[in-house]
Amino acid sequence: MKVTHEVTIKNEYGIHARPASMFVKVASRYDADIIVEKDGSGVPGKSIMGIMTLQACHGTKLLLVADGDDAEDMIAALVALVESNFEA
Amino acid sequence: MSQTKTGSGTASPVTVDSFFKTVREPLGLELVAGESGLGQRIGEPALNRPGLALSGFFDYFAARRVQVLGNAEIAYLTSLDKDERAQRLRAFFAQKVPCVVITRQRRVFPEMHEMADTNGIPLFRTKMITMHFINDATITMENLVAPRMSVHGTMVEILGIGVLIEGKPGMGKSETALGLIKKGHSLVADDITQLRLDSAHLLIGTPVDVTRYHMEIRGLGIVHVPSLFGVAAVQEEKRLDLMATLCAESEIDELDRSGQTRRTRNIMGIDVPQVMIGVKPGRDLVSLVETAALDYKLRRLGHDAAKELDDKLISLMTGGHVGSE
Repeated sequence: MKVTHEVTIKNEYGIHARPASMFVKVASRYDADIIVEKDGSGVPGKSIMGIMTLQACHGTKLLLVADGDDAEDMIAALVALVESNFEA
Repeated sequence: MSQTKTGSGTASPVTVDSFFKTVREPLGLELVAGESGLGQRIGEPALNRPGLALSGFFDYFAARRVQVLGNAEIAYLTSLDKDERAQRLRAFFAQKVPCVVITRQRRVFPEMHEMADTNGIPLFRTKMITMHFINDATITMENLVAPRMSVHGTMVEILGIGVLIEGKPGMGKSETALGLIKKGHSLVADDITQLRLDSAHLLIGTPVDVTRYHMEIRGLGIVHVPSLFGVAAVQEEKRLDLMATLCAESEIDELDRSGQTRRTRNIMGIDVPQVMIGVKPGRDLVSLVETAALDYKLRRLGHDAAKELDDKLISLMTGGHVGSE
């Protein structure tokens, strides 16, 4: 099953190393594949290096595209993480 | 499989600004006038010396290219009287060329300033001699328009062979690369590798600028490779020769263990040789990937170990009558 969801980065410094590792940690709990897209190009959401190359600063819109049996749960967890400004 | 196509693999348009940013430092380019036109697209990624156009002949003028004024063009313009020169330059700038470059630090006529500004055509100047500038700028432009995509995989160089290690998260791509670096091989890119197809139809792998030379190793976090292992442990870019795909044992079809059937993977129209390496506790992935690269090198030199052994075996069994039937 494929689930997509758009999120806006609201924490001050954007997705730097620590938020990137938190994102990957949450994503890796699920079996679904995840691609994170910015301006039409995407990176694997279970790769810290990948997430960091997005250079997603404050205000960036990211499209989360998950594909797999637990995609829905994964997206819910990731959206919650982004919306908590990575303070979870 | 685990490849993540993250680029369209298509050529991208080049703007004067992206060209300028790329060559500014290496080619010592400075912007003299016409800043408002930096956003213009370079219609044809090539350079043109507009000698005939300056003399007033505009048939077949390559107006969509970057225009280069070298010694000859400036000397010609200098030979004209002031009014004549202004008129020729006006006609030239009216062609809406993407930008103009003056080489050898030659003089910029005052009227060129004004025409560049009013027409919104960026005017640059460099100290380089024309021939060198044209050579270097052509290569840069080709790189800028080359089709690109990024793939999910770690790229290393093993004794001259560019190997892209790919596999699902947790298969051990970065750990394998780390082991190879420890053995004296070098890192090109960790986890995300950008590939571009150059004009000679070779795939060239490069890291993404922001994470260049860094690796993420589970349990250790992010490490800076040249600080730990020296500058010899990293590469700016490398041609892609071989894909080493780490996968679960069960994913490999066991039909041919002799290694005679060669797998390839098509990336942007290029068939790249591929080896599948089954991951299992206790398997030495570092040695396996290293040996796969060496075997590829040997094959490229004309030795195919699997085929040679098979030929020998057949020859022994048929009493040397191979190919006679």
